[in-house]
Amino acid sequence: MTEIIIEAVKVSKFFGGLIAVNEVDLQISKGSIYSIIGPNGAGKTTLFNCISGFYTPEKGDILYYGTPIQGMPTDFIASQGISRTYQNVRLFGNLTAMENILIGLHTKLRSNWMDALIHSPRFVREDNWSMQEAVRLLDFVGLKGYGDFLASNLPYGLQRRLEIARALANNPRLLLLDEPTAGMNIQETTDLTQFIKRLRDELEITIILIEHDMKVVMGISDRISVLDYGIKIAEGNPKEIQANTRVIEAYLGPGGAALAEKYRSQRRKSHA
Amino acid sequence: MNKDIIRTSSRKGLLFGIVLIFLVLINFHIMASTMISKLLGTNVLRGAFPEVRFMIIFLVIYGLWAGWSAVSRENKTTTKLLEGLISGITTGIVIVLFGLILFFLLETQTDVRRYLTALSFVSINIFLLGLRGAGVPVLFGLFTLTGLLGGALAIGLRSKTVSNFKHSIKAFVSNVRQSITSALPEFVTKYGKYMIYLVLLALLLLLPSRWGSYNNFVFGMVGLYVILGIGLNIMLGLSGQFMIGIAALFAMGAYSVALLNSPFPHGLMWGFWPSLVVGVVMAVIGGLLLGLPIMRLRGDYLGIVTLGFGEIIRILLNSDLLTDLTGGPRGIQNIQQPTFLGRPFNDVSYAYLIIVAMAVSIFLYYRLEKSRTGRAWLSIKEDTLVARATGVDVQKYKLLALCIGAAFAGLAGGIFAARNQFTGPNDHTLMVSINVLSVVIVGGLNSIPGIILGSFALRGLPELLRELETYRLLVFGALLVFMMLVRPDGLWPSSRPNLEEKGSSDLKEDIDPDLEGRGND
Repeated sequence: MTEIIIEAVKVSKFFGGLIAVNEVDLQISKGSIYSIIGPNGAGKTTLFNCISGFYTPEKGDILYYGTPIQGMPTDFIASQGISRTYQNVRLFGNLTAMENILIGLHTKLRSNWMDALIHSPRFVREDNWSMQEAVRLLDFVGLKGYGDFLASNLPYGLQRRLEIARALANNPRLLLLDEPTAGMNIQETTDLTQFIKRLRDELEITIILIEHDMKVVMGISDRISVLDYGIKIAEGNPKEIQANTRVIEAYLGPGGAALAEKYRSQRRKSHA
Repeated sequence: MNKDIIRTSSRKGLLFGIVLIFLVLINFHIMASTMISKLLGTNVLRGAFPEVRFMIIFLVIYGLWAGWSAVSRENKTTTKLLEGLISGITTGIVIVLFGLILFFLLETQTDVRRYLTALSFVSINIFLLGLRGAGVPVLFGLFTLTGLLGGALAIGLRSKTVSNFKHSIKAFVSNVRQSITSALPEFVTKYGKYMIYLVLLALLLLLPSRWGSYNNFVFGMVGLYVILGIGLNIMLGLSGQFMIGIAALFAMGAYSVALLNSPFPHGLMWGFWPSLVVGVVMAVIGGLLLGLPIMRLRGDYLGIVTLGFGEIIRILLNSDLLTDLTGGPRGIQNIQQPTFLGRPFNDVSYAYLIIVAMAVSIFLYYRLEKSRTGRAWLSIKEDTLVARATGVDVQKYKLLALCIGAAFAGLAGGIFAARNQFTGPNDHTLMVSINVLSVVIVGGLNSIPGIILGSFALRGLPELLRELETYRLLVFGALLVFMMLVRPDGLWPSSRPNLEEKGSSDLKEDIDPDLEGRGND
């Protein structure tokens, strides 16, 4: 059995009377690409926010390598190697691409303000290293030459990549991607899908993905969980999820499964 | 279409007319013509009135402006002329109505100076060009004509030939510049920037001993505001905390130096230098104490609380409660003067001290800004939540920014108190905080040249504008509005550094193996 990197045990999050996430269990094994799907408002992003420390779940535990991390400060969780991107790109817009990545490197550096004032050997060493590391990351995500552009001036697709580069700068073991292909065209989506695979294969980063594009989800996921109204209604590999009646009904409404079956058989006939 | 033209340009004319009425009511027209007269070489004694011809020049310029500004981006020349003309006529009509009232006042010898202190009979008569009743139609004719001329002027100066001419001049200048730089030997182009700095430095070293104590006083004030501005910029520009109470931190520094160096109320004589250090430390402690309770506040709320903090400190200093401790409303007099290598300080040495303090502040600021700490501050300002998720300890860095900013404020305060040999509650009012805030915002956030320019513009310029006497603040306000329209990002906006090249250059041998190892643990 492969090692479990992060585990959610009966996690619940309420907003007043609204149950955003209701007793969700997840087990994500190291080195996998795990997708969380579900209709809008199903609680996917809320679950992400619980993992990355923006929210503290009211009930349940989030275990990272077996240690509970729920309720820990966000910056501590980040320093433990959990990075994330956001549904609407959230870059530091008035700073350059390089600076964005350098801020991402924050947890990897140790020099403090006094080092900066006296330019201590540690500062100089880290400064050189961080500049090169930032350029390397720019190159890695395909942003070479864009380093001195203001982040807000980059085209949308590149902003997404820069956001991933900033997350990677933290040298994460777990990367949470919140709808990375939103607003991208087919070509960009294909590129990004390949890129996510590369992250897993080359850097051995475990990836949790929230995604609406089913082609992407079914193409790269090892396992998928489906949330609906905060409840996990299904879990399995892509094949199992596609065949799951509850999942189809969550998306298409009651009776949707029958409809989908009808549609499929029609397609089969017309192809034949 | 035609109606539109009439409406917009008559509105412009109306605006100009009404503004002119206000200017006359506060006697600004006399001041303006006095300035023109002085510029043209005819001196006007204090309290005397300028000649009418200078008044005419002022009105002509004003009328031309009214006509000019009414001209739209219309293509047809006749339309443009019409716009200028309509604007001029409207201004004229407004002024005729106003002039009739003034004429009536003049005829009936009604003295309105009880309500409008500046509006004397002489000043009215000068506005009516010394012609009494006949001045009214003359004024109408003047504005109509100048409106038309202003329109014509706008056509002439905005035409293609003129803009082409401008472009060719610009191209010529840049060509010349290029040929000069290419002709110069390499070390000049490479180190030219430093040479300019060197010249600046030489000027800074020479000027204080040459230009007299008044200029030294003004310059010192500007310098102290630069230091304060840098302190505030660390809080506001880098870490994004809207701080309005910087006067309180300034007071911490000033009172530390004052109390430790004066015969009353404590009779301590520690000397300037150790007490300056104490002042800086006290300001940092003040920043820390202020920072701890307000860490969770943001934006306007933070501004209100820090504003309150500033006022609390001032009121405490002003109260009877602390009279025994801080001298109360009378402040602290006879602050002992510092000595340097056994020599006592005079105005020149203070100028040098401020230059050194300014240089050190700027140096430290740049080092902080271009570091991990500075970038963490910027990330907090840009997006606190994301900064946190990127691993920045937001509370710690916000507090750090307050403390370091406070240190600069304390430094400025200490020098300020010693230089004035006096400090009291009135040196640390809300206006100080607001002035520092304006220096930073007018100059340009996160830009040291901007803060220096802003200090000169906001602290130096009002002193130099003393010529304008009572209209100083009016002109100053107009300048501010104008500047905000023309340069909304500040006089010298900041630019982001270019870092990619720095990281791309080959520095492989400098890399620490430890750090590289961290890349794949």
